[in-house]
Amino acid sequence: MLLDWLNKLSLKMDPLRPPGAVDEKEFLQKCTRCRKCAEVCPYNTIKMAHGESGVMMGTPYIEAREMPCYLCEDFPCIEACPSEALSSVNTKEEVKMGIAVIDESLCLPYNGILCRACYERCPIYREAVTLKDNLYPVVHEDQCVGCGICVNVCPAETVAISVVSKHKGIY
Amino acid sequence: MKAIGKFIHNNLHLLRRLSQIGSLVLIIVIPFLNKSGINFLKGTYYSISIGKLDIIDPAMALQMILLTKSILITVLLMMVVPVLLALILGKVFCSWACPFNFIAELLTKFKKSPATHVRNPKAHYYWMIFAVILLFIMMLGIPVIAFISMPGQISALIADAIFSGVLGIEILLVLIILVIEFIFNRKFWCKYVCPVGATLSLFRIKKTLKISYNPKKCASCDAKTENLCVSACPLGLNPKLSGAYPYCYNCMECVNECRKNGKALSITFNK
Repeated sequence: MLLDWLNKLSLKMDPLRPPGAVDEKEFLQKCTRCRKCAEVCPYNTIKMAHGESGVMMGTPYIEAREMPCYLCEDFPCIEACPSEALSSVNTKEEVKMGIAVIDESLCLPYNGILCRACYERCPIYREAVTLKDNLYPVVHEDQCVGCGICVNVCPAETVAISVVSKHKGIY
Repeated sequence: MKAIGKFIHNNLHLLRRLSQIGSLVLIIVIPFLNKSGINFLKGTYYSISIGKLDIIDPAMALQMILLTKSILITVLLMMVVPVLLALILGKVFCSWACPFNFIAELLTKFKKSPATHVRNPKAHYYWMIFAVILLFIMMLGIPVIAFISMPGQISALIADAIFSGVLGIEILLVLIILVIEFIFNRKFWCKYVCPVGATLSLFRIKKTLKISYNPKKCASCDAKTENLCVSACPLGLNPKLSGAYPYCYNCMECVNECRKNGKALSITFNK
């Protein structure tokens, strides 16, 4: 419940942007609100903020629980961006959308239930999420790209992992 | 060449309506195409892509330059097409393509009396309003034009509604402005406020397409009826007097009306 509410709040203040996004302040200045990134996303991951998001209206964001970023080989969203609000990255390891944070009170292994969902599905395999003692998932900030796949696959009743975007609210 | 010119002069109204409908169809078709995986056409009137050709609304580009205090070459390149269009034909985007103007024009058809308030205001009002908007952008650091660009908003609303089935509440902003336009029937927005039109007006030069009036050829239809050309103007401008620019957006409705009685009004590149 609380995490859910916090997720919503963080979206208001600090949305998870598509890969390659420049710093939030610069992003709001450069994004042309043209929708091209959303239109080319093969997974329909990218959503559009509307009037209720205030100054972020018309900008793209990702709700990882619904649909995470699968880090396409060629990054069509970045390719489509006309104004370098999404700046180019060469490999998926270069992406830095945010950092996954595990809530140990909710995470199944920490509560005695075997689960490796986030570890198995992490696209930066065996680097961004590792298993401590072969049981407990641990996120490594330096390697985590913030794609949100772990958030999407987490089977815990209340999602035990969330992506904190790398930006801090500006306005 | 002369035959083409004549054809255009005689069918201005029809051609313009076709262009306006085409522009509206375009922004409806784009999200449908992209939804079915065809990405040849992309974007909205904030920025649109035709294949590899990227085009940006010059007002959005100007805003980006003011906010980031830097100029991106890619953004300048995207401005080439709309700026050339404005340099050659004036702000025809507004009158021949902008979906907001199209809707506002259609709404005035439901008005019993046409706009009676005819005036060619002094140009400095236009530039003052534009300057205030630009000042707001720089002082608050907020992308104001993203909100008040009506062609951008309308095309984005349509794109989101079709592409993701979400109708943003920013539609209220568009509706409020449309209601104000309908009640006062003066085309406040397009005539005075719109920063998209104002940015395009920056690129008006001496050789830019304009409406010219030749009093010798005037059939003085005003003696018989009302001034046909004057009452045809959607912006409440008088094409027979000077000072229609920078307000006039070259819809050429006055010329179209004039052709029915005479040849006093015409479109020309010459002074």
